[in-house]
Amino acid sequence: MSKANTKAVKKKATRRQKKDWVAGYLFIAPVTIGLFIFYVFPFLQNFWFSFNDVNKFNMATFNGIENYKQLFHEPDLLLALKNTFLYAIITVPIGLIISLVLASFMNSKIKGKGLYRTIYFLPSVTMAAAVALVWKLIFNGDYGILNEILGVFGIEGQSWLTNPDTALFCVMLVGIWSGAGYNMIILLAGMQGVSKSYYEAAEIDGAGPVQRFFKITIPLVSPTIFFVTITGLIGAFQVFDTLYMMIDMDKNPAFNAVKTVNVLFYQNAFVYGYKGYAAAISIFMFVIIMIITVFQLWGQKKWVNYD
Amino acid sequence: MRKNLKRLTAVGLTAVLGAGLLAGCGGKDGESKDGKVELVMSVWDSDQQPVMEKMAEAYNKEHPNVTVKTQLTTWSEYWTKLEASATGGSAPDIITMNVLHVEEYADAGILMDLTEAEAESDLKINENFPAPLVDGYTVDGKLYGIPKDFDTNAVFYNKEIFDKAGVAYPQDGWTFEDFRKTCEDLQAAGLGEGVYPTAINRNSGQTTYISSVFANGGYLLSEGNEKSGWGEQATIDAVQPWLDLVLDGLSPTLQQMADTDPDAMFQGGQLAMYFSGNYMITSYNNTLEGKYGIAKRPTFNGKDTDIINGLAFSVSANTKHPEEAKDFALWLGSEEAQKIQGESGVCISARNDCQQYFVDAHDEVDCQVFLDNVANAELLPHCKVTSELSQVEKKYLEPAWKGEISLEEACKNIAKEQDPILEKMNSK
Repeated sequence: MSKANTKAVKKKATRRQKKDWVAGYLFIAPVTIGLFIFYVFPFLQNFWFSFNDVNKFNMATFNGIENYKQLFHEPDLLLALKNTFLYAIITVPIGLIISLVLASFMNSKIKGKGLYRTIYFLPSVTMAAAVALVWKLIFNGDYGILNEILGVFGIEGQSWLTNPDTALFCVMLVGIWSGAGYNMIILLAGMQGVSKSYYEAAEIDGAGPVQRFFKITIPLVSPTIFFVTITGLIGAFQVFDTLYMMIDMDKNPAFNAVKTVNVLFYQNAFVYGYKGYAAAISIFMFVIIMIITVFQLWGQKKWVNYD
Repeated sequence: MRKNLKRLTAVGLTAVLGAGLLAGCGGKDGESKDGKVELVMSVWDSDQQPVMEKMAEAYNKEHPNVTVKTQLTTWSEYWTKLEASATGGSAPDIITMNVLHVEEYADAGILMDLTEAEAESDLKINENFPAPLVDGYTVDGKLYGIPKDFDTNAVFYNKEIFDKAGVAYPQDGWTFEDFRKTCEDLQAAGLGEGVYPTAINRNSGQTTYISSVFANGGYLLSEGNEKSGWGEQATIDAVQPWLDLVLDGLSPTLQQMADTDPDAMFQGGQLAMYFSGNYMITSYNNTLEGKYGIAKRPTFNGKDTDIINGLAFSVSANTKHPEEAKDFALWLGSEEAQKIQGESGVCISARNDCQQYFVDAHDEVDCQVFLDNVANAELLPHCKVTSELSQVEKKYLEPAWKGEISLEEACKNIAKEQDPILEKMNSK
């Protein structure tokens, strides 16, 4: 009995397992198929294109590393890299601090929390194009409400978005403003996972709110902070939509001053029609983001607390 | 209950997703069992969409088996979208084309060669249409588009501002010096805050300085598109007087024009004079109907020149219904179709015998000047890398427009950077 029986038992188990697998695969199928069609395949095609001369209509002829050679002679590359890094270095930390502060307020006992939460989260559910358009009007040099307000205090305004010195900072402001609410919600979720007993113990020992924030909240939500930093940095390196909507490529004289790597990519791919070269730019950016993320993953051991 | 609700939502969402995917896969066939054909025609101008639909209806009356659907895509996305759909082999059957793009689309094999079809038809394109337009859509001796409409330019002036300032309206036959004097007179009369005599934008060459370049014996692109003409002294001398208007405060600054488009400024009654094409009349009428006049452009260097540009109907090489699409495109060039278009008053029909309809459609303002200008107009300079060349122009003309560098320095730099781009284009 022994051998035949165990076999039968085993077989029965695999059948059930198989059933589970099928169900499992069915569940992840919509996302996986989408991922392959819209992310993995285009990424591979993009990688292949970066070694080809590709015209507007995707007709490709292999040209080796010609595109990468051209990239290192690109007159605007340094400027674009500078702008991209500047954007990331300014928006990510400031955005993080603001959303941390907002989240801890939302986490404390104050009235009308729900309302504030909604208000801060609104930009995240608003279309980037609509956000950009409204801010464009706010910053308008002739009729913008910002200049009107400054005028009340006797400060003379200016054309914020068309002045090369201020345009990038205006875009950063919008980037921070529209990202803060989303990060706040994620951080808030992290904070609500922190046990109340830590705070009670700290309070009994005489720790003030500021001390509690730095000694308890920050270390205990550090995994969430880490997550927000990584996604924030990746997002900042790929900034495009607000820039595209707020700074008109044809007419705005500040356009060159705010050009980021992604804009450089867009310009080459969809304005000039050099898709192979544009593919090389995007691979270059991919490598930069990957290196930075690897460094972050390595560096997290020093400060992220997973206990 | 709650759990059931969740399950229900999940099932519902999956169904919606699945249906979406399936729908995405189901190709459009265009031809149903009863032999009916549906053609798609792309257009970017929402002002023109209604009249294009009207033309499609008229065609449908004569050809009941063919219906034409218009597909509106705004100008800023039009070419990106067309590029993508042409790459995927699903371009609209009838494509609204402009001279800046026709060459590269023809080269890539996206447009159908209409030479033979035109020769077999009774369209007589060389007889019935202005030569610069036919030339514009002929690439390597082959015809790739049936001219649809054209635009030329004029000076639009706001009568209220002139009356208030007590300055005489622009007169036909005036010179550039007269124009500048008028600007100065308006300025001296005091125009009120935020109101300017005119606006000369860096990127408005088509309506302003390019025709002066021709009048002065200069050029932007040499014969055969081999060399940039920006470095030529005759070119620089023709652009300088236009730029001086900006530097002397007779026009808003470059930054102001970037914040608020001069078109919008004119519509808002903030410009006394503005150089524009006939295609803007419909928009200007929204706010200024009856309050503005149209005068001929001032002569430059004693010459009366203008720039002509125009659109055409092209046929996709990949259309599933080549015969129907070709027939419809040729019909769009017929007197019947171009009359419908002209009478709508949104654009000037390209066909010689239908141009007058546009003028007749506008009682409120005299549009004859646009037709008169065809005789002495040159086609807008263009080549396959126009968008790249214009980025170079932007790079150097902007600081010149702000007065940070001299125009001469800007122009020399433009030529220096445009020449290698042209060389690369010609070597391919």
